Amino acid sequence: MREYFEKQLNILDYALSSLWRRRGKNFSVFFVFTLVISLLASFQFLTGSLLDSAQTGLRHAPEITVQRMVAGRQESIPVAYADKIKGIFGVRKVVERVWGYTFNEVTGSNITVMALPHVPKLGQETLGEGGFWVEGEGGGAVIGQGVLQDLDLGNRRSFSFFRPDLTLKSFAVRGIFAPESNILTYDLVITTLDDGRDLFGLDAGVATDLLVEVVNPMEIATIARKISETLPGTRVVTRPQILKTYQAVFSWRSGFAAICLLSALAAFIILAWDKASGMSPEERREISILKILGWQTPDVLMVRFWESFVMALAAFACGTILAYVHIGYFQAQLFRSVMMGWSVLRPGLSFTPAVGGADLLLLFALSVLPYLAATVIPAWRCASVATDSALRG
Amino acid sequence: MSSSASTIRPATFLALFCLVLASIVLILISQGRQSASADVEARAMHDTLTSQLGLTDLCLATEARYTRHPALTDDLAPFMDYPQALDYFPSGLFWAPP
Repeated sequence: MREYFEKQLNILDYALSSLWRRRGKNFSVFFVFTLVISLLASFQFLTGSLLDSAQTGLRHAPEITVQRMVAGRQESIPVAYADKIKGIFGVRKVVERVWGYTFNEVTGSNITVMALPHVPKLGQETLGEGGFWVEGEGGGAVIGQGVLQDLDLGNRRSFSFFRPDLTLKSFAVRGIFAPESNILTYDLVITTLDDGRDLFGLDAGVATDLLVEVVNPMEIATIARKISETLPGTRVVTRPQILKTYQAVFSWRSGFAAICLLSALAAFIILAWDKASGMSPEERREISILKILGWQTPDVLMVRFWESFVMALAAFACGTILAYVHIGYFQAQLFRSVMMGWSVLRPGLSFTPAVGGADLLLLFALSVLPYLAATVIPAWRCASVATDSALRG
Repeated sequence: MSSSASTIRPATFLALFCLVLASIVLILISQGRQSASADVEARAMHDTLTSQLGLTDLCLATEARYTRHPALTDDLAPFMDYPQALDYFPSGLFWAPP
């Protein structure tokens, strides 16, 4: 056994020396391979981190949300629907809600305005400044950090949005959400139900959607089905569906970016195959000399395997570390512009890379194994060349 | 390898390289654990916010309503501007359709 390890160590030494002899070419291959793995791993870590944020941040999302659909589009839902939903056994509470978007023509940003029928019971830790309005008070709003900057409020604590008829609706800022909640509240304006209806020009008899709270969370799916049956023409979204949506949205399998990155990896593997199959006369001569000195074809193959393995493993390790640093310390700067697109309001998010054994195994399988196959198989063909013909050139 | 280092086996350099990488990984893991413990407080705050405000989505891409609220957007929203419209928002490259 010791002899076997000693032999492998000697072959490894020879492989490393061989890599060092052609260091110019090998370093460039290593650099490109590291870069490709780093991009792929960054994408994997980023989507993992976002999925983790969604799964934990939205685990208390509304149990059931009911929307009204007309001709495939969402329309305002009559508040009277709430009474029908309350009649379903197992429903604890139905809350009407008005929300929508307002466009800031100065900056080109979209701001989400959400109007609630109650004063939210939030601790002071969720607010960086001020508090919520008191019951019955109108015209108050709590805004996110992004809205504060986008409206350029400075020390002012009032702002206006346009109603549909282009008259102005004024709000007084009662509070500002803490920066730690940016991932949820950055573009939010929270106000009262009456102010929301006033801003969007909605009648008192309609709302944007209805939030349903159930007695037993195990019955969410059953009650959602009953709501669909009772109110045809509605779209019923449950909490598990919300979480599944994020799983689908952030899944690495979907999305154009993943396809681009995998294409880059595939292109690199094809290049590696091409390089390995077209051996230079020097390399063929080296193999021939080794075989004259008594090396067997498996020994030559073992050298090629160690060369490729060391190269691929080093690129994998460096690429993964670079990806972690890119996501954890540079906040995914390379993907941020694609991820946020034309968004004007861009929350300053801090990501904690979610790295699991499965992610690493997947990256290893996608990068190291194809590279080994792409370099060792052509090397086997070259290792079995006739010694005399290779030496003659 | 250089002649001055001829007595050192090349595998030793590889072992040293692995040791450096392992040290970097350990440092990153320890820092990652610190930031994860700091996240615990923020997550408790997020729980309160989602339950009290009825929030359904993360605020990541605010360029279109279906990227701001993918969970509550109907499937056809990205293609609704006109018949046979395409999803032209850049973040559509990153996000799968809701």
